[in-house]
Amino acid sequence: MKDLVHIFELEDLLQEANNPLVRQAKAEGRRALGYTCYFMPEVLLDLPGCFSVRLRAPRSGSPDMATYYMSNRTCMYGRCLLERALEGGLNFLDAEMATETCAVTCRFQEHLQLLDIIKNPDFFCEFTDVPFKKNDNSIDHYENQLQVHVLDKLKEHFGIDISDEALLKTIGEHNELCRLIREIGSYRKLDEPTITGWEFAIINLCSLVCPKYLIMDKLRDIADELKTRKSDVKKNYRCKVVLAGSEEDDPDFIKLIEECGALVVADRYCYGSLPGRDEIVVKEGETPLRAIARHYLETSQCPRFMEQHIMRERKQFLADTAKEYKADGIIISQMKFCEYWSYERTIDTIIIPRDFGYPVCSIEKEYVNNAVGQLRTRFQAFVESIELKKIQKEGSV
Amino acid sequence: MGIGLKDIKAKYKELFVVEKSPEEKNRPRDIKKSLHDFWYGKPHEERRLGDLYVGNTGLYKHREWRGVKDTMYYFNMIWLYNYAHMVSDIVKYGDGPMGIVDFAKGIMRYRWMGQTYLTVMHWFDRGLEGVRDDALRASAWHYRAMVSESIRQIIRMFQSDKKLNGGKTPDKWNYNIAHNETVSGSIFYPFRDILEDIPLEMIPYFVSVHVNNHTVLNYIDAAQSIGLPADPCPMCQAEYGLFVLDDYPDYSPVMVTSNEACDGSVATSVLQDWFLNRPLYAMPQPMRYDDPLVQKHCQKEIEGCWRFIEEHFGIKFDWDQYVKYAQSFNKLTEFEWEKWDVAAKTDSYPITSVAQALYRIYYSQDGDRPIWHEIDDRVKRIMNKTVKNKIRTFPKTRHRAIAWSCAPLYYSHWCTWAYNCWGINCIINMDSLMFDQYLRTDTYEHALEDLGLYNEKAPMRAMAVGGHEHILSLFDYMERFNCDMVIMYDQLQCKGMQGIHGVFEDEFRKRDIHAIWVPHALPDKRTVSRAEIRGIINDYMTTVMREEPLDPTLLDFDDSNSW
Amino acid sequence: MNKFIKFILKLTGIAALVYGALFAVFYYDLDGKFMYYIWEPLMIKRFDSMKRQDTTAMPYSMKEKVQ
Repeated sequence: MKDLVHIFELEDLLQEANNPLVRQAKAEGRRALGYTCYFMPEVLLDLPGCFSVRLRAPRSGSPDMATYYMSNRTCMYGRCLLERALEGGLNFLDAEMATETCAVTCRFQEHLQLLDIIKNPDFFCEFTDVPFKKNDNSIDHYENQLQVHVLDKLKEHFGIDISDEALLKTIGEHNELCRLIREIGSYRKLDEPTITGWEFAIINLCSLVCPKYLIMDKLRDIADELKTRKSDVKKNYRCKVVLAGSEEDDPDFIKLIEECGALVVADRYCYGSLPGRDEIVVKEGETPLRAIARHYLETSQCPRFMEQHIMRERKQFLADTAKEYKADGIIISQMKFCEYWSYERTIDTIIIPRDFGYPVCSIEKEYVNNAVGQLRTRFQAFVESIELKKIQKEGSV
Repeated sequence: MGIGLKDIKAKYKELFVVEKSPEEKNRPRDIKKSLHDFWYGKPHEERRLGDLYVGNTGLYKHREWRGVKDTMYYFNMIWLYNYAHMVSDIVKYGDGPMGIVDFAKGIMRYRWMGQTYLTVMHWFDRGLEGVRDDALRASAWHYRAMVSESIRQIIRMFQSDKKLNGGKTPDKWNYNIAHNETVSGSIFYPFRDILEDIPLEMIPYFVSVHVNNHTVLNYIDAAQSIGLPADPCPMCQAEYGLFVLDDYPDYSPVMVTSNEACDGSVATSVLQDWFLNRPLYAMPQPMRYDDPLVQKHCQKEIEGCWRFIEEHFGIKFDWDQYVKYAQSFNKLTEFEWEKWDVAAKTDSYPITSVAQALYRIYYSQDGDRPIWHEIDDRVKRIMNKTVKNKIRTFPKTRHRAIAWSCAPLYYSHWCTWAYNCWGINCIINMDSLMFDQYLRTDTYEHALEDLGLYNEKAPMRAMAVGGHEHILSLFDYMERFNCDMVIMYDQLQCKGMQGIHGVFEDEFRKRDIHAIWVPHALPDKRTVSRAEIRGIINDYMTTVMREEPLDPTLLDFDDSNSW
Repeated sequence: MNKFIKFILKLTGIAALVYGALFAVFYYDLDGKFMYYIWEPLMIKRFDSMKRQDTTAMPYSMKEKVQ
């Protein structure tokens, strides 16, 4: 396939957290609001006058200073973020809208409060409590938290308009972006997809880390081009897979999987578009904030949710995703030291093949991906096993 | 290849003969001193407790001679008394002698019982090494209470257990609520006249691993055998390893779980739910628990749990029952505060740190039970005496230490070792300070409010979540308990604690505090052995503090295969 | 009377012997040694060779929502 329009430009934007578009938005007087987790609704941080930046630490090396503070036995994502902050790479942030949703990102954000790291006089870090269930009580609680710890704080610190009208307008813009990303992503469902997992990961990541209003035109161009884009005559992949799991913000990791012959057709991981780019529906009689609270709780597929039926629905969701995107298998990837996903990966690895018939490749990886050789071997073996199964199946037919 | 006299002699020597030190051998015989030592026990510096161990087993060539009075107290009121009660309690809680049959079936079925139950007295031994007089008595009563309450729970589990009844459903099975050990028993007060609430992992994991840590390694290995990486909290691993090995009693139609204390606990409940495959109520507590806005949510979850119980068991929430148990439990809390006060302000606190910590965590998690009151009454009498007479219960104290973060479970006698070897008297542990909440019962609203707060301040989470100020409250507690040293438990697999390691280092330096980092992996001695822990403390005491040990035989000994 | 005293003495003697024996068990940690060298190895053998159900075969079906 020929190169997708804007793709290298977008790839460049992922080379640093404080990228040129972030700088442009700041220069236009907008406030940069950092966050790490899906449970901090980005739509609230994209209200007029501010913009959301989901934090990454691209091109990280060895996070030595952060390792002093957080030891080498914690998730490297959290450590790399702290390292980047200690290096001064997050000084552009005007606020960190924090959640205590996993131990290490929570500790990272607490360090921002404790150590006076961010050299920005306006900077503050505010925590929101996020429930573990999806029931009405949890939605009430979450809505209340978002009002007090996000909206009220934005108004208080930066004079942001947090009226229902402003929220509705932002939801509209957010949904437009989601529709575009979903449209772009839908080409992955084709029998012969016309977009690669790597390309899609770059596009989706940019929508998380750049001011949205500055990339909308580019997304539209991409969506337009995809309408006519043709897949290669000779198929250059051997199977299609869903990538599921914990935090993943490295398109090169997806490239690695694809180099091994497995086209990544669906992204069900933190920073992925499933369900991250579901549109927010404001039901009749519902306030926009209520709709946002409900949306983020109901759509999340995080293993943090504890209700029995939700735990089990997560497996079904994964299998349904694989079916919808015509995947041959599922790669479950877990960031080393992520407790939630180490357990979820264990159960997925047994249940998904047993109950849903999808082969699973179960891996553990670091944020700074040094074990490329080992992972390549694992993925190649997985691809071969899928091919063998296909051959066996065809033979038996 | 038969066994010769030489072998028997060598074995006898290995198992029973305590070698005299060169100084003792060369010392002229002093009958008067020998008689004095026989009657009162040897002075601390001459005890040579390390010489009593048999190889790497942790067994004793002979138990410690503590002087006539304390040895006979130990023999009669601890050893004989508790062995006798380990039988009589089974009969008492097991509705008669047939309870012994149920109990025996459990011993033969479950590893955590078969390998552990009879080794209980060695748990006492480890926790009471070198302890004398009032401290010996008060601490031993704490152990007695824990054993008694464990037997009550064990017998109830076994009598209700489908697995021990050939797959049939015993009647009692229908009247039990299983819950995670991290869900407080206080939640179930309104139903205690009809239902028994029994924490699922309290005995199979938490208690048994203190008594005999050999069993737990099987469960950790089992957890990893189905694909779990080795780095998650070993406590969580063991708690679901029990399920992988099908080594949990099936005694209840439902399960109640919570998010206490950490990510690992939440994730563990996902796997446990799969293996249990029965109705489950998840009752999470908010993380940011200082926030007044979160309380309503927490209270509604508790009410949700009550509704779940009502629906499943067809019974009604009983306010009077709640009031009865909560008020009774408040008396335990009041005494706990009294104990803290004595520990903080005097040298007359008569309870070893490990007895204090285990008892506190056990009873406050378990909730109100008669045995806790019985024991508190006994301990109160002892404590009143020591305070009134200004008795220095740990007279060789050189340092008053506070132990912070999650404690190494298998090393349940480290506190006694630290005192015996170095005079480090561990005054209070972090986990003793949880559940610091009075339960009001004047109105339903107040009761619910306090119950919510109580559960939000559960073990570990009270300090480890909800903001860095909680974990950094160490320095306030250090001042409150008049401590000059910190024993910083460094749980290598606890992400929350590892994630704030450096801030503590900074603070210790800034405040010029002597802090000893004690690495450990809770029950998994393969990650950090007991000897390594002792070595770290020894190194700090010799190189930084430049002190001499009180008992040099305890500096270095091999207990790698001990219980 | 003589017989009664003798009986009492005998009983006391037996009790003293039992008490003394128990004290020897206590003092020389014979209970620990029995448990460590005899009982626990037997139990380990038993539990290691015990047939256990494959718990991973447990179904994972959907459940109803609990309010």
